[in-house]
Amino acid sequence: MKTKKSKEKTDLKKEKEKTVIVYSTSTCPWCEKTKDFLNEKGIQFKNVNVGEDKAATQEMIKLSGQMGVPVIDINGTIIVGYDPDRIEMVLAKRK
Amino acid sequence: MTEKKSTLIETPREKYDFVPDEKICYDVIIIGTGIVGWSAAMYTGRLGLKTLIIGEMPGGTITQTHVVENYPGFISLSGPELAQKVENHARDYDIDILLGKVEKIEKNKSNLFVVLTKKQKFNSKTIIYATGSKWKKLGVPGEKELENKGVSYCALCDGPLYKGKEVAMVGGSDSAVKESLLLSEYANKVYIIYRGEKVHPEPINLKRMEEKVEQGKIEVINNTNITEIKGSDGFVSSVVLDKPFEGKTELSLYGVFVAIGHIPLSDLAKEIGVKINAKGEIIIDRKAQTNVPGFYASGDVADTSFKQAITGVGEGVAAAYNAYEYVNKGNYVMPTNSEMNENKKITPLIRTKTKSKTAKKK
Repeated sequence: MKTKKSKEKTDLKKEKEKTVIVYSTSTCPWCEKTKDFLNEKGIQFKNVNVGEDKAATQEMIKLSGQMGVPVIDINGTIIVGYDPDRIEMVLAKRK
Repeated sequence: MTEKKSTLIETPREKYDFVPDEKICYDVIIIGTGIVGWSAAMYTGRLGLKTLIIGEMPGGTITQTHVVENYPGFISLSGPELAQKVENHARDYDIDILLGKVEKIEKNKSNLFVVLTKKQKFNSKTIIYATGSKWKKLGVPGEKELENKGVSYCALCDGPLYKGKEVAMVGGSDSAVKESLLLSEYANKVYIIYRGEKVHPEPINLKRMEEKVEQGKIEVINNTNITEIKGSDGFVSSVVLDKPFEGKTELSLYGVFVAIGHIPLSDLAKEIGVKINAKGEIIIDRKAQTNVPGFYASGDVADTSFKQAITGVGEGVAAAYNAYEYVNKGNYVMPTNSEMNENKKITPLIRTKTKSKTAKKK
């Protein structure tokens, strides 16, 4: 049982490490470009609409220290704005 | 071509990962991938010119416009939607596309234009320069430090973050008022701060603004400048005004949106000897021709007084047709083998080769 729990914990950790989060608003064209780019690269990501979620807005501000969207969180590396080259670079390092 | 219903930009990046041929001589290189550039590309493709379009951001500045209601044929659609439609139209023709930044434009011995990116260079008989413009900044203390921390140049992007808060829109143009109307959908109150006597939007937007003023959602502060943007805990907290408003020169706010006009992106053209006016706009004639033969300019970068999507598109199309005429007159010499071999030494920036287009039409 202990081993199973430990395995679950490791899997959860691995899953977290793989997480890509896009903080966006529903009207932002650069956010859509970012999401399109991740989709095209086959990168799974979680979209967080900060326009509709105050707690998520605070989370994004805390992480990025600013209020512009999109914000992309790749395993803790924060990218502000639509920056495909940088996203690719950070994703490559993750592999 | 299938129409997509979404209002969002839908073109995947892979579609831009095309390797343009450095060994050939293009008839025309279009610099700028806003709707003016794509319109020109649609026409040059249609006219059978070997076309390369290079730009950093597909869609350009109109993608930051919430609603476009003055583009003939469309009663109302979003800026990103319009940009996508024009791009899709251009892609229906046989054109080459490169997503990237042009670093320099030169002219070689054969009277051809040489367009350089960081790692590539391309020859072309003509240039259509449609780089557009960027937003002017206020240039007041606090603006730079608080950018994206309450100071924003994109109401469409960041507006939803200011739900129930007080914000300012700086500017008095149609764009500024339109953005204020959008902001008023989210914010508790929008103060339009304008240095002139009266804001000057299109009459239809003035009427909409007045309705919002009556509702108490918008308030216009004319004849007033912001002299400083102040922050608290790293985010915008107030602005300082050069005249008292309701007895105070400091107005508490959460956000400052800026729409005070544009700066034309004409530097590369200027370097090659293209004449610009005092505002930095490229001087063009009715053929969209500049003083440099074979070099055309159109859209926000050109010296047209009434800058609209439709006027820019018209100039882009004029440029395309006149580039076609120029190419057919043959006012250039084909490059020598040694000149073309020079190009081969340069490593391509993008290595993925995909076909850039769908159908070929004539």
